Amino acid sequence: MSFLFRVAVYVPVLYLIAIVVVGQHHTTAAATLRAALRRTGRWLVWTAGLLGAMWGLELLFIGW
Amino acid sequence: MSAATNHTRGLGHLAFLQGLVPGLLHYRLGQKRLAALALGSCSLLFLLGWLCVRERLFYWALLTPDSPPGGRGTTLLQTLARCGLPLTLPELLNLPANALGAVLAFDSSPTGERLWRMPRDLEHLAGWLTAASGMLAAFWSAAGHWELRRRRDGGHTPPVAVAHPGLCAGLSWLAPGLGHWRAGQRDKGLVMGLAVVVVFAMGLLFAHGHAVDRANASVWWIGQNLFGGGSLFAALVTGPWRMEAAPPHLDLGIVLCTVAGLMNLVVMVDAYTVAERSAFPLPKSAEVAA
Repeated sequence: MSFLFRVAVYVPVLYLIAIVVVGQHHTTAAATLRAALRRTGRWLVWTAGLLGAMWGLELLFIGW
Repeated sequence: MSAATNHTRGLGHLAFLQGLVPGLLHYRLGQKRLAALALGSCSLLFLLGWLCVRERLFYWALLTPDSPPGGRGTTLLQTLARCGLPLTLPELLNLPANALGAVLAFDSSPTGERLWRMPRDLEHLAGWLTAASGMLAAFWSAAGHWELRRRRDGGHTPPVAVAHPGLCAGLSWLAPGLGHWRAGQRDKGLVMGLAVVVVFAMGLLFAHGHAVDRANASVWWIGQNLFGGGSLFAALVTGPWRMEAAPPHLDLGIVLCTVAGLMNLVVMVDAYTVAERSAFPLPKSAEVAA
């Protein structure tokens, strides 16, 4: 439940942040929303990578 | 080269520092009426708030200038506090009024320090007003820098922007996206503004309205105040609410409201840039790269 709650907050907020970030490079709302979707996807991949790396470090130094 | 261009070049690298004194840039540019308006508006806003909060501003500083434990010596922080430099943000951006307020209110005695910590009536609104004076000083400074740039780069006939960039940034501070609306990018402004407002509202909801509180989370409040309309709403409506117990997601709410403020900083800068580029467009090659 806690994991689902975090995802339910994190993903929409990430998309809203992406709108503001990519909005600087576009002049229309439609282009901004499309680009924000792509940017959110890219950030989610980075998030998964970072979480995987931290989980790996935890396994390495702390153990299962 | 015109005389006006030479005059503005004389300001040189000091332009940034001159921006800390409301109206000084306009005065140096020969806009004396605007200079008086800048100084007057910033000072009036600060005075309205300061009359209520006074020495409480020291308690909201990034570094509180407490006296050293058990000692009677004067620390460097206290010396700075005497002249209004204890990093009270964003009041520091209105340097002269903040310094005058500090000179009049600073008292390093134990009684004085108790007064820093004592809550005041209407302190939410008064704290917002002193902060608004700092933000207004920043927007006047942006207006001065714009005029400086227009004269420096505009040649004999300085171009006119579709809307004043400093005004667009200021409007976005109060209502995210309004600056874009003024500059002509209406639908983009609406989308960017909604993004900021939704994140801020989520923060307030998660924290049951207690996410924006200068007295309890003064460092976070510096970031939250970058969305001036949101922090004003909180000062007027949710700030004075009683908190019987900390809501379960208070931390999340505080972080979300701060993130919304930082998002609005991007929106403000972009609104300034959109208006600026209407007068000084990017070269075609740079547009493709962006």
